[in-house]
Amino acid sequence: MSPEYSVSLRRKIDEVAARYPKKGAALLPVLHLVQREVGCISAEEERFVAQVLGLRPMKVREVVTFYTMFLRRPVGKYHLQVCSNLSCSLLGAGPLLDYLQQKLGVRVGETTADGRFTLSTVECLGACEQAPSLMINFDYHGQLDGEKIDRILESLE
Amino acid sequence: MPKILIDDRMVEAAEGLTLLRAAENAGIPIPHFCYHTAFPPEGSCRMCLVEIEGLPKLELACSTMVKEGLKVQTMSAKVVEARKGVLEFLLAEHPLDCPICDKAGECKLQDYFEEYGLFRSQFKEAKEKREKKFKLSRNLILDRERCILCTRCVRFLNEITKTEDAGILNRGIHSEVGIYESELIDNNYSGNLAQICPVGAITDSDFRFKTRVWFLESNESICPLCSRGCNIAIDSHPGHPRALRTRRVYRVRARPNPDVNSHWICDYGRYGYAYLDEAREDRLVWKKGGLETRLIWDKAAQILTEKVRSLVHLRKNSRIGVVLHSNLTNEELFLADRLFRKGLGVEKLFLADPPPGKGDGFLLTSDRTANRRGLLEVGLPVQALDAKALSDLDLLFIFGHYLADGTSAADLKYALEKVETKALFASHKSGLDGLVDFVIPVPVIAEKNGTLTNVDGRVQPFVAGLDFNGDGLPEWRALLDLAKELKVEPKYFWPLASPEGVYQALRKEIPFFK
Repeated sequence: MSPEYSVSLRRKIDEVAARYPKKGAALLPVLHLVQREVGCISAEEERFVAQVLGLRPMKVREVVTFYTMFLRRPVGKYHLQVCSNLSCSLLGAGPLLDYLQQKLGVRVGETTADGRFTLSTVECLGACEQAPSLMINFDYHGQLDGEKIDRILESLE
Repeated sequence: MPKILIDDRMVEAAEGLTLLRAAENAGIPIPHFCYHTAFPPEGSCRMCLVEIEGLPKLELACSTMVKEGLKVQTMSAKVVEARKGVLEFLLAEHPLDCPICDKAGECKLQDYFEEYGLFRSQFKEAKEKREKKFKLSRNLILDRERCILCTRCVRFLNEITKTEDAGILNRGIHSEVGIYESELIDNNYSGNLAQICPVGAITDSDFRFKTRVWFLESNESICPLCSRGCNIAIDSHPGHPRALRTRRVYRVRARPNPDVNSHWICDYGRYGYAYLDEAREDRLVWKKGGLETRLIWDKAAQILTEKVRSLVHLRKNSRIGVVLHSNLTNEELFLADRLFRKGLGVEKLFLADPPPGKGDGFLLTSDRTANRRGLLEVGLPVQALDAKALSDLDLLFIFGHYLADGTSAADLKYALEKVETKALFASHKSGLDGLVDFVIPVPVIAEKNGTLTNVDGRVQPFVAGLDFNGDGLPEWRALLDLAKELKVEPKYFWPLASPEGVYQALRKEIPFFK
């Protein structure tokens, strides 16, 4: 077992797993815990989770690849997730995305060279009233335009 | 038992049975891809939709349980329309590979389309391109364009081998069957995946592109490669003017038998069919004074019986020996017992079997012979082979070529040189050929009739699925001929003429076979 997973993470996993009649049933919450701590679920994390929960790695991968919010590769410090669904598109998500790509110098799915920003598109964020909207890590930002984007990005460390 | 009406036919079905099974039992087939008798219903392919009176929507026959009074329509206009819809969606992404697809001719998708469709697709869009030869295991190749995601393969690995090597990755249109990183499926039952795949998605490199299924003739047999006695089908090429026949047997498949092997066979049995055609004995020869003469059996039998007669006449019965093996049928072992031990008073009965292998805890047993249990139940008092004891003989009947396996070549040569007459009944060439006087080719299990007793004591009859092409004859016939020629218990042996007849006699005498 690779030693880089913290004792506190392991303790949390054990706590969560204990709430279920079968350890394997804790797969989803445990994956969330690991992603929060490690930043993504790569093959290494899949094997770690599989071993902790007594599952085959293939079972873990089925789940990880099914849910789009599990990240299979590390992302930058700030993960910009631009909504590309209907309401946001009608109100300018396209140009907004173009602007972000230009400003950050990356394409969708890429991370800036300094490792600060990763740009992604996602389906509906459930914030149509704020369209066009995006999520930066777990924070919502809505009614965006170029100017507002600039201000938000400047406010980030 | 609940009574239900299927297509206006009254059908009685056991409680807890699904509509699909109930209909099938009544001779009404319901098309399906994902459903397989060996697994719980999956309900993902939607092909088995049927109309049930009183219900607003079509229901899945594979997962709906029978209930008193259900009125089911399996071929109504609504049902046919729905099935066409399912087929159209499946075919929207399915490549038109049939001309080069191994499954063509036994493909459910192809058959159902022919049955329900032959319609033009309304899809104008180009089909998705996907991986065409993804390696799943040493033998299996996955074509992701052909895959209809029925998950039979995944469920097999989850529920039967419990190795969980494969799964469905991603979601929606991106869903695909995959394995973990490059960890190939590696178990002794992987070959079943190609057999249960309802389409040509999983193909077997052992069979891939070798022939077309409609050129094959399928014959039932019993796998003789271990003592489980799995029921198999041997698919062979009878020859066809337009099919290049490069070999005889192309594949071995599992034949369902819930009491023995369910729907499966192991890879050892599936891929181990080379023995059927490799290194076979085909010439009946007599070697005398450095000369090899080709004989017919009648002549060989005459010489051998004369030899037996002269020894019996001189009261030298103890100078006759017999080597047997556990791949002989119940009938043959029984005849050997009646003729040699009871008829001629031969005491030196030896056993020479192939060495045991490793069992896998599921179907494959460690015993590498088909009928050890039969040998036990027939009650032949065989002794372990002893090269020294062999040399003490004047006449030796050797059944099987396994003698060479257990004894060192030098010991064997030394011992056999002292025996005046040695007759070898063997299906395969071996080091023994050069040490004996008579080589009499015999068929393998797939080429003869009889019964075998499997490891659990189940007696299974089988008939020849392949032709025997050698000069010789089956052992049961040879034993009967010798008995008749020698006039041993004429009243007993004369009426016997077939393995079936011998089995009837066997049943009368040995309670186990009742």
